[in-house]
Amino acid sequence: MTFRMVKTIYLKEMLDMFRDRRSLISMIVVPVLAVPSLFAVVHYFTQNLGKKAQNESARVGISASVSQPGLTGALKSVGFELVPQTDARAAVENKSVAASLDLTRAADGTGQIVIYVDKTREASSIAAERLTAFLERLKLEQVKSSLRGLGVSERVLNPFTVKSTNVAPAKKMAGFILGSVLGYAVLLLMFTGGMYPAIDMTAGEKERHTMETLLASPASREEIVLGKVLATTTASFLTAMLTIASILISIQRAGLGQGGGEFERLVSRAAPDASTVVLVLLTLLPTALFAASVMIAIALFARGFKEAQSLLTPVVMAVVVPAVVGMLPGIELNVGLALIPVFNVSQLIKEIVLGEFSHLAFLAAFLSNVFYALVAFWFSVRIFKTESVLFRS
Amino acid sequence: MIQVESLTKTFRDKARGDRAVVDQVSFEVRDGEIFGLLGPNGAGKTTTLRMLATLLKPSAGRALVDGHDVTAEPAEVRRRIGFLSGDTGLYHRLTPRETLRIFGRLNRMEEDRLRDRIDEVISMLSMQEFADIKVDKLSTGMRQRVGLARTLLHDPPILILDEPTSGLDVPTARVIEEFIVSARKSGKCILYSTHVMEEAEFLCDRIAVIHEGHIRIIGTMGELKAVTGRERLREIFLELLDSGGMRKAAVV
Ligand SMILES: Nc1ncnc2c1ncn2[C@@H]1O[C@H](COP(=O)(O)OP(=O)(O)OP(=O)(O)O)[C@@H](O)[C@H]1O
Ligand SMILES: [Mg+2]
Repeated sequence: MTFRMVKTIYLKEMLDMFRDRRSLISMIVVPVLAVPSLFAVVHYFTQNLGKKAQNESARVGISASVSQPGLTGALKSVGFELVPQTDARAAVENKSVAASLDLTRAADGTGQIVIYVDKTREASSIAAERLTAFLERLKLEQVKSSLRGLGVSERVLNPFTVKSTNVAPAKKMAGFILGSVLGYAVLLLMFTGGMYPAIDMTAGEKERHTMETLLASPASREEIVLGKVLATTTASFLTAMLTIASILISIQRAGLGQGGGEFERLVSRAAPDASTVVLVLLTLLPTALFAASVMIAIALFARGFKEAQSLLTPVVMAVVVPAVVGMLPGIELNVGLALIPVFNVSQLIKEIVLGEFSHLAFLAAFLSNVFYALVAFWFSVRIFKTESVLFRS
Repeated sequence: MIQVESLTKTFRDKARGDRAVVDQVSFEVRDGEIFGLLGPNGAGKTTTLRMLATLLKPSAGRALVDGHDVTAEPAEVRRRIGFLSGDTGLYHRLTPRETLRIFGRLNRMEEDRLRDRIDEVISMLSMQEFADIKVDKLSTGMRQRVGLARTLLHDPPILILDEPTSGLDVPTARVIEEFIVSARKSGKCILYSTHVMEEAEFLCDRIAVIHEGHIRIIGTMGELKAVTGRERLREIFLELLDSGGMRKAAVV
C-alpha cells in the first residue's frame, strides 16, 4: 500500500463528491438548515402546543347539581369558562369541554364532586389538575372558617411546611439538554451526511461501470477501499462539524438575545467552551471512520444506487435507537457500555458537555470505534476481492 | 505477448445451473499484432477480456500477460495493460484532463512526465476543445476518445480493448481504428473484441471467432475466407457460427 495511490483515490473521490449535488445537499445544506429547524420544532412544541392546551383547559363543563352561585362565581373568578351540561361525562368524551364537574354522594353520605377527565388529552389533564387544586383550596377555606367559628387557630392545620429544591443548577440542566440534543443530532446527521458519498463511490461506480476501470488499474484493493473510506469519513466528519457549528451559532445568538426561542436561551446557559468542542470533535473522528467503513461495506453489496439506498436507510434509522437511549437520563457510561457502537458516542458527548465524563470510558469508546472501523474496513476489502459481488448482474 | 491456454469461466446461475460462458479457450497474441476476438452478443468476449484484465478469476486454464500469470500475479499484469471496457467507464463529473491525471497517477507515472504526456495524448487524439469539459457533457465519440486516451496514457505494452468502436459513427470509428493501427506500429500487443466483421477485416492481423464460449476458428481473413469458401463477410461470419468447432484444428 502506498501513500500516493491512496491519496490519488481519495482526491478523486473528493472531487467527484463535491460535484455531486445529492452529496452536497446531505453534507452541507442539511446540517446547516436542520439545526435551526430542529430548534424551531422544539420551540413550537414546547411553546405553542403548551399554550394551546393551557387555553383549552379553561373551558369546563358543569352539571346543574353542582351549579351553586358561590362555587360558579369562584370558578369564574379564577378564569374558568363554565359551560352548563346535562351529561357531564359525555361532554368530556366528545371533547366539547376540557373537563367537567358533577355532584354525587359518597359512600359515607357526604357530597362528592366528580371531575371527569380524559387523561390522553393534555388540555383535559391540565383542567383536571387546576380544578383539583381549586377545590382543595376551597375545601381548606371552609375548614378554616369552621375553625375560626370554633375559636381555634388555623395554624393547627399547618404544623410544618414542605419545600423541594432542585440542586442541579440551571446550567447543568441546560447542559444535559444540549448534550442530549447534540449527541443525537450530530450522530444522525453524520450517518446521513456520509450516506450518499458512500453509495456513490461503491454501488454508483458499479452502476455506471467505472468500477471496472478502477479495478483494472494498478491500484490494490486495499488502496482503493482506504481511499474511499477516507473520503466518506471526510464527508461524515464535515457534516458533524457543520452541525456543531450551526448549533453553536444558534445558541450564541440566543445567548446574546438576538433571536432564538426560549429553548435556545435555556441551552445558551451551557454554551460549551473551546476545550469541550475539541473533545467532542475528538470523539467524533473515530465515529466518522466507523460510520464510513460500515456504510461503504454495506453499499458495496448493492447492484445499484437504489438498492444501496434501501439497504442503508434502515441502518441510518437504526442509529436513532442507541442515540435516543443515550438521551435518557440516569445512564452513566462505564467501560462496558463504552463498547456499544453509536450509543457510546451519544452518551459520551452528553457527558462531555456536562463536564463529567470518565477518561477511561472516553478511551474505551475511542478505541472501540477504531476497532469497529477496522473490522468494517477488513470486511470491505474482502468484498472488493469477491468478484460475484462486484460483477453481479 | 498474451498467451491463453484452455481458459474457462463458469458462472453459477440459480436458474440455469453452472454455465461455462468461456470454455477451453486458447490463443496467443504477439507483440506488434492486432488480434481480433470476433463473436455475436453473449459469445463470451467481455468475459474473456475481463479475465485477462484480472477482473474475473478463471475457473480453469491459465493466461499469461507478458509472462505474468493473471491469477498468481494480478498486480504485475495490471501494471502492463491498458484496459478499455465496453462502455468506456468514465467518471461523468470529471473532465478528460482530470481523468487522465488520476489514471496516470494510478499507473505510477512521474508527475513531470505525466503532465507532458497528458498534453501529448490530448493533441494526439484531437481532444483540445473538450479536455476541460466534464465528461457528462461530451458526445459518445468524444467519450470514446477519452477512454482510449486513458488506456494509452501510461504507454502499456498490452492493450485490451472491448468493442472500442461500438456505437460510433463511421468517421469517429475510423479515428479510433487508425489509432489502433498506429499503436501496432509501435510494437504493442493488441487484443480487441468486436462483433463487426468489416472492422475485424480492416484492423486485425488474425481473428478468432468465438461463439457460445467456444473458439470456432483462428486465422487470417484470407484463411477464414478459404475455410468457408465464401466471399461476403456477413456470409463468412454466419457460416462460422453455424458450423461446429470441427474445422478449427485445420487452420490453427
Ligand atoms: N457476472 C456474470 N454472472 C453470470 N453470467 C454472466 C456474468 N457476466 C456475463 N454473464 C453471461 O455470460 C455470457 C457471455 O457474456 P459476455 O459479456 O462475455 O458476452 P459478450 O461476447 O461480451 O457479448 P456482447 O457482445 O453482448 O458484449 C452471457 O450469456 C452473459 O449473460
Ligand atoms: Mg461484451
